[in-house]
Amino acid sequence: MFSLKKCCRITPQLQVVGSRSVHCSYTTRQVCKMTRVRVVDNSEIGKAAMLDGKPPKIIHIYSKIKYGVTGDKVLVTVKGEMKKAIIVGCHQEQKAFIPKFDSNNAVLVDENGSPLGTRILAPIPTFLRKKLKEMSRSKGADYTKLLSIATRYV
Amino acid sequence: MKLQLCSYSGYKIHPGHGSTLVRNDGKTFVFLNSKCRRSHLMKRSPREVTWTVLYRRKHRKGQEEESSKKRTRRHQKFQRAIVGASLTDILAKRNMKPEVRKAQREQAIRALKEKNRAAKAAKKPATTAAPKLEKGKSAMQKVAKPMPKPKMAKTGGHGGRR
Repeated sequence: MFSLKKCCRITPQLQVVGSRSVHCSYTTRQVCKMTRVRVVDNSEIGKAAMLDGKPPKIIHIYSKIKYGVTGDKVLVTVKGEMKKAIIVGCHQEQKAFIPKFDSNNAVLVDENGSPLGTRILAPIPTFLRKKLKEMSRSKGADYTKLLSIATRYV
Repeated sequence: MKLQLCSYSGYKIHPGHGSTLVRNDGKTFVFLNSKCRRSHLMKRSPREVTWTVLYRRKHRKGQEEESSKKRTRRHQKFQRAIVGASLTDILAKRNMKPEVRKAQREQAIRALKEKNRAAKAAKKPATTAAPKLEKGKSAMQKVAKPMPKPKMAKTGGHGGRR
């Protein structure tokens, strides 16, 4: 509960409303549908989208839970197209031994799991080595290809 | 597993402890515990927080043993050659034995006296006096140089008195 004075500093209109405390829920920073994600590779579409100021938006998470976690595959809209992406870093605190990032990072990927870009400049958690291997299927999608274009591991 | 150092406090992080944070510019921070992590997020500089290693290093706490062992550099004296005399000449004059020096001195004095007498004798016949005096003087100057200065300066100055 914070005082009226504090409210007034933020928005002067609140003074008219009266002394009412505003309650906010704790921010969970989850990656879910409608989340804007930061493209971390050097693909053409990704770069263009980030420059435009319209980063890709998640429209579906390929997971049984409704929020995404480091290493999850995700369906994303970029510049009017639907692309698949893999979350390589979350702002939310993840499980133990997975580093926390200051933004939700993603790498654009095609149907077979091969990345659209040629290099990933941001650091990538080493936890992905295990996770992506589990996700990959022989004679199916191979998601570990993006590890080969990574430059730095965390 | 590699033993890491906390990027805030400087303490060792054993496996199973700590957390990692990656900033958007790519800088990675490893924290020992939430205390370090929260201090970092509060933007408290570790150099001002008393219990961190960085503070102790900056204020040189507990390092007195190491600093006392350090020695100051000694300046080396180095003998150089001057325009008038080369290095070998200087060393030769310095290392000359006192007996040798004395003998040289006496020799020079004797030579001077001879020349003075000769100059005096030459003065009587006026025509021959001038060239001889000049010769005497130049010879005296040449002899005067290698000698210890204070002694010969006097005699060099007053040529004809003796």
